[in-house]
Amino acid sequence: MAVHRGRGIAAIEYPTGMNQNGDPSQAWIKVKPDGRIDVFAGTSDIGNGSKTIQSQIVAETIGVPYDWVTYDNSNTDSSPVCTGTFASRATFVAGKAVEKAALKVREKILEIAGKELEIDPSDLEIVDGEVVAKGAPQKKIGVPDVAAAATWGHGELITGTGAQLKPYATIVDPETGRVDLPPHSAISYASCAAEVEVDDETGVVRVLHLWQCYDVGRAINPTLVEGQIEGGAVQGLGLGVLENCYPYYPSAEHRGGQFGSYLAPGAENLPQIDTIIIENPSSDGPYGAKGIGEMANNGQPPAIAAAVYDAVGVWVTELPITPEKVLRALAAKAEPRRAGKLVVFDEELSVNAVSDGGIRFEVPA
Amino acid sequence: MNLTVNGVAHEVESGPLTSLLDVLREELAITSPKAGCEQGGCGACTVLVDGVARRSCLTPVASVQGTEITTVEGLGSPSDLSPLQQAFTHHYAAQCGFCTSGMMLAAQAYIDGGGSDGHEAIQEAIAGHVCRCTGYVKIIDAIAAVARGDEFDLTVTASSAGMVNLGGAV
Repeated sequence: MAVHRGRGIAAIEYPTGMNQNGDPSQAWIKVKPDGRIDVFAGTSDIGNGSKTIQSQIVAETIGVPYDWVTYDNSNTDSSPVCTGTFASRATFVAGKAVEKAALKVREKILEIAGKELEIDPSDLEIVDGEVVAKGAPQKKIGVPDVAAAATWGHGELITGTGAQLKPYATIVDPETGRVDLPPHSAISYASCAAEVEVDDETGVVRVLHLWQCYDVGRAINPTLVEGQIEGGAVQGLGLGVLENCYPYYPSAEHRGGQFGSYLAPGAENLPQIDTIIIENPSSDGPYGAKGIGEMANNGQPPAIAAAVYDAVGVWVTELPITPEKVLRALAAKAEPRRAGKLVVFDEELSVNAVSDGGIRFEVPA
Repeated sequence: MNLTVNGVAHEVESGPLTSLLDVLREELAITSPKAGCEQGGCGACTVLVDGVARRSCLTPVASVQGTEITTVEGLGSPSDLSPLQQAFTHHYAAQCGFCTSGMMLAAQAYIDGGGSDGHEAIQEAIAGHVCRCTGYVKIIDAIAAVARGDEFDLTVTASSAGMVNLGGAV
């Protein structure tokens, strides 16, 4: 009886962004008379950081400081349509919509600035909130002044809209019968290595270390990407060794009746997590980004299963890898126990020995 | 019944066996303590009772009469964040935010008790708090930073921590 260590590795490929299913995202941007930028989109921020990331994309695309941008996703009725934050699509699809809208706003700012500076817009660029003549940086006008000129002088609203939609894929062409499935544009790759400790007496698997490597196309905000990967690691750990609603599905008999009987990973289950971010740009995402939300919890369970095999030599083929499953697998692998002394049950003797009151102890002749 | 929450005295009308959580949320409209499992398992309802972290969902309000209750609203204000609130912001320690208020009060009790920046001690201090988003890593980083006395510049620019990758604009 001992504690064994093992390591395992898993590699995954993941179609992020759900971009073949006719899911639109739209965005609308307008510039206030003082140059501040309002972005309206229906993309909710459920903790994935959409507000931060979309604002970064807008600031970068237009060429203004990040804190000039207000991202308003407070109302899905007055906002342009976004099918939602799911399927790793918020940055990949909705981020592209705000990028397209921001490009139009940039164009409009340059057009108005061109009139103000009497320079052709194609000779202008926006750097850090100022419209500057290319090659003649002394000729410039601040974006707030351009916005004011548009509002009070030219009678215009600097605005832009953008939408991102990859049309629904035609799976089978009715005429030719051919399958016409365009290549998915945001395939991501990832791998996870796990180091575990398995107690062959109790069957308990402890995850000690997870090394995680994710291709995210472009990490627009590396700290947020890291947050998704670390969160995914612990969710994957839960799927791998802890979380189970129906331990003997489809029997509901052993279903937990309380919050505490469902084992979500706690801080005490936290392994050491090392994260590596790889940037292998996509063709359709904003700045080459891919999605990172969902795939972040796919690599850990198979890596943990492989590590358990490395540690104690048994494959547990059903998740989560609970102590019971480990012990059953070990027992199935173990040699059958040697037959001991055969005991024959003597019913009459037994009845005499244990029956009422324990007073009749005579052995029948 | 009288209850002092974040330094403000309140006259409470709920019955004595009403949970402190319900009194805070429903009667006083202080909604930072979250109703998660309401069985004492998740930690989202945690508040400080005279500086001690307690599950408000399991605490009858009569048992805390005359005490000083602190919720996240009492730690700092948006214009004057407490060190822990600054650290959670700086380290991106919140994602969906549901566990954050309970987590932050457990951390406050840990810091007030002279807790160190050791990761194992912090893991133990927040062991009763479930977070499904962050994987705890950045929460532990934030608490450790406060235990060390780190200071933070929270001015957000394109060159702020985590925003370095698009760069160009600023």
